[in-house]
Amino acid sequence: MHQSSILILFLSLAIIGIIVFTYIYLSSLHVENAEQGMSNPLKKRFWFILILFVILSIFASVTIPKSPYYLFADETPAKVIHVASMQFNFFMSEKAIDPKLPVGEAIEIPLRKMVEFRVTSLDVNHGFAIYNPQNRLITQTQAMPGYVNRLRYKFNEPGTYNIFCLEYCGMAHQVMNSSFIVK
Amino acid sequence: MESIKLRKITSIWIITILLLFIVSIVLGILMRLNQAGTISETPTTFYINMTTHGLTMIGIWYVAGMAAINYLMERYVKTNFTVNAIAYILTVIGVFLLWTSTFIGKFHAAWTFLYPLPFKIMWEKWATPLFLIALTILAVGWLIWSISLVTKILKKYTIAQSFAWQHFKKNPKVETPPFILISMISLVGIIACLIAAAILMAMYFAEYFSNGNFVNDALLMKNLTYFFGHTIANEMLYLGLAVIYELFSEISGRPKWKTTWYVALAWNCTLVFILTAFFHHLYMDFVQPEGLQIIGQLASYFASLPAAGVTVFSVFIAVYGTKIKWSLPNLLFFIGIAGWVIGGLGAVIDATISNNVVLHNTLWVPAHFHTYNALGNVLFSIGFFYWFANQFTENENSEKYTKYILGTLLVGGIGFLLAFYIAGADSIPRRYSNYPEELVSGAPLALMGAIFGSIYLIAILFFFFNISKRCIKIIFSPS
Amino acid sequence: MYKNYIFSVVAFCLITIANGQTVSTDLKEEENIYEKIYDAPLNIVGESSLQFHELYSTNPLLLALNFTRCSGVCNPFLLQLKESLELKDNSYNVLVLSFDSRDDLKDMKRLAESLQLDNNSQWKFATTSKIEELNQSISFFPVWDSTKSQFDHDALLVGINNEGYITKKLIGIRQGHDLDLLIASVNNIFSPTYRLPNKNALFSCFNYDPTTGKNKPGLGLLFIALPALITILILIIISLFTKRNKLE
Repeated sequence: MHQSSILILFLSLAIIGIIVFTYIYLSSLHVENAEQGMSNPLKKRFWFILILFVILSIFASVTIPKSPYYLFADETPAKVIHVASMQFNFFMSEKAIDPKLPVGEAIEIPLRKMVEFRVTSLDVNHGFAIYNPQNRLITQTQAMPGYVNRLRYKFNEPGTYNIFCLEYCGMAHQVMNSSFIVK
Repeated sequence: MESIKLRKITSIWIITILLLFIVSIVLGILMRLNQAGTISETPTTFYINMTTHGLTMIGIWYVAGMAAINYLMERYVKTNFTVNAIAYILTVIGVFLLWTSTFIGKFHAAWTFLYPLPFKIMWEKWATPLFLIALTILAVGWLIWSISLVTKILKKYTIAQSFAWQHFKKNPKVETPPFILISMISLVGIIACLIAAAILMAMYFAEYFSNGNFVNDALLMKNLTYFFGHTIANEMLYLGLAVIYELFSEISGRPKWKTTWYVALAWNCTLVFILTAFFHHLYMDFVQPEGLQIIGQLASYFASLPAAGVTVFSVFIAVYGTKIKWSLPNLLFFIGIAGWVIGGLGAVIDATISNNVVLHNTLWVPAHFHTYNALGNVLFSIGFFYWFANQFTENENSEKYTKYILGTLLVGGIGFLLAFYIAGADSIPRRYSNYPEELVSGAPLALMGAIFGSIYLIAILFFFFNISKRCIKIIFSPS
Repeated sequence: MYKNYIFSVVAFCLITIANGQTVSTDLKEEENIYEKIYDAPLNIVGESSLQFHELYSTNPLLLALNFTRCSGVCNPFLLQLKESLELKDNSYNVLVLSFDSRDDLKDMKRLAESLQLDNNSQWKFATTSKIEELNQSISFFPVWDSTKSQFDHDALLVGINNEGYITKKLIGIRQGHDLDLLIASVNNIFSPTYRLPNKNALFSCFNYDPTTGKNKPGLGLLFIALPALITILILIIISLFTKRNKLE
């Protein structure tokens, strides 16, 4: 599960950080000779920066290709679902949505087939965020007025998926939601 | 004589900031309690509190940084008292107008006031222009202040010297103190972001006064908004670091820190990174060209190199195995650096595009920036306030309370933040007044956040009473 | 005094430019995307009859709906299309299909000749016996006006990729950028986003150019670079004008 690994990574690094800081603090407590300090600080600093640089570069080169923008770009979607967000509702339809009279319908998505969501907004910025049946966030895109974002995804688990608005859009932001079924 | 006026205005800043801080924390705790279901506010009230909380917090810690560097800058160059006072007055007016637009006008477009939300009037009609005017007043006051300080620096140092470029050569004739270098770099970034704010305001006013004939491009407005917002939030942190570079060694009883070639390099690189990292706020806007997204991730990643490799490591070197005179101010600095590092870990994780897909606009985002602030920048500033008060008054509360105060601060802060991180990993959205019943962990974690936040508040109240009492003495003392 | 003057001029310019902007968006173009076009039998001028799928599987298509007795938009539409496409590549064919059952191959041949496209292998002119089913699959509903003896219909261009999926629709006479997007879409070049039609691109940061697949800088980018530029300017001005007691 993506988020669990993120949390574990973060907590481990945070605890290591706290230990390092505590260790350094403690090392300063019972020092007799005022000039003790760290030996070879310049060399240690250089190595520290180098190691950090390498770690960051590895993460960058591994994660940047996993960006969601061109996911499934070479495939043809089995279904296209148009999403028009409006305060405070998501109108979803397999047909195009008329901005003057937006109408939505119940959506059913085929299992294990790639689908494309075309997401836009009819008023302010909204966030189209899809939660799986265990209520974990699995993918999202912004809904910006005047633009259409194309989000492609393949759902491998059947069930009811919830959609929650994830970009603050006003006083009913917290109840702006929808859902669809995958089967 | 000049320095007495500066002393007094700085004291006035400190008291104002701490007072507003406490009010903002209370608003924040009320928010968490509402999310927990313990109290019941209308969603509008919640979002009004949220908007006010966000803007007030950013505002006060920014001016805290400015007041601190203004005060310390007097060691190197003469600063202008009138500008400082004008900035104070405009800040107070701006905050007052802001609070009027939110609490009375019911404006609640969040602190990011993302276009076109301010124009979707779900509040008093006058609240939107009043809000924009309030921000404009704040931006003008802060811009004048920043430009004034830069002018004073440039009166003594050339541009190249203020950026410490001469340190790239061996044995530079002129030494740029680290404090001046960092202040200059931060102020330049601040001026850029305030100008971005001014352009943003101009676009808003243009649309407002055109009665719908002129419509802005939502993507451009979002870029400008985050250019301003991200940059100012980071710059206020760097202002705190300038204070640390100047005071840490002094308070610890150690030799003063000097600018070396790598310190100069690190901070010059920081300026570039800080102005390009803001793209990481637009990862989920697929409309943004992919090149800018990648620049955002790389800038966000590599901004940590100068931060960790130079500043943090310098603190390590200064402390490791060294006889340090520990007292509350430098302990606060030290803990603040640790908080900044940990907040940075959460930030770099979120700044990874493939992670951002599942973290964007969840509670992970407030988790990392509250870490940067509540256990980072706030401690830098409070450390300065405490040190400042120590300069001119006796501290009746002896250092024996230090252990308990820091303990309370840490327990409260860490608990409060953990609630956010766990909720973020659990996909709980941010900026929700109440959580949908499907997201079961939202409410319990909100309660945890409220409880620990209150513990944190207790420590802050100690600082408020201790420091304000002494600052009032400074204001009213004849000399 | 001057400031007011300058502000008024700027405001006037902005408002005049903005008046050319409409706010409506035409979402009829979003119909039927990634649905398959009806596999109609086609009678093509100068070629043997074949099923639609045999045509698009060799080359993706731009489908233009037309009828020869049109006194309205059809001819200008085709002329404009011919001109616009002249400078573009040959990665697709253009199929001009009549939706009028009165049209036969002789009519279509005459149409091709009038456009001087009868010897152009890229352009195909055809009729079909299954026009109703085809119209249904692309949501094209011409209305017969008996008083004028004319069909009332949209000028429609449909992009079809080599698997028969409708990738994009353009309604009305379109040029340049929109046609590039259409051609890119039939060649399966994915773009994660697009701007809705009728949006004023005056202040956007980038304009996507589908022919090169790259983004061209737009005026909006200047606005983002402006703060940094102005800051540098301010620094230089301050530096020049401060009387310094500089350290040597």
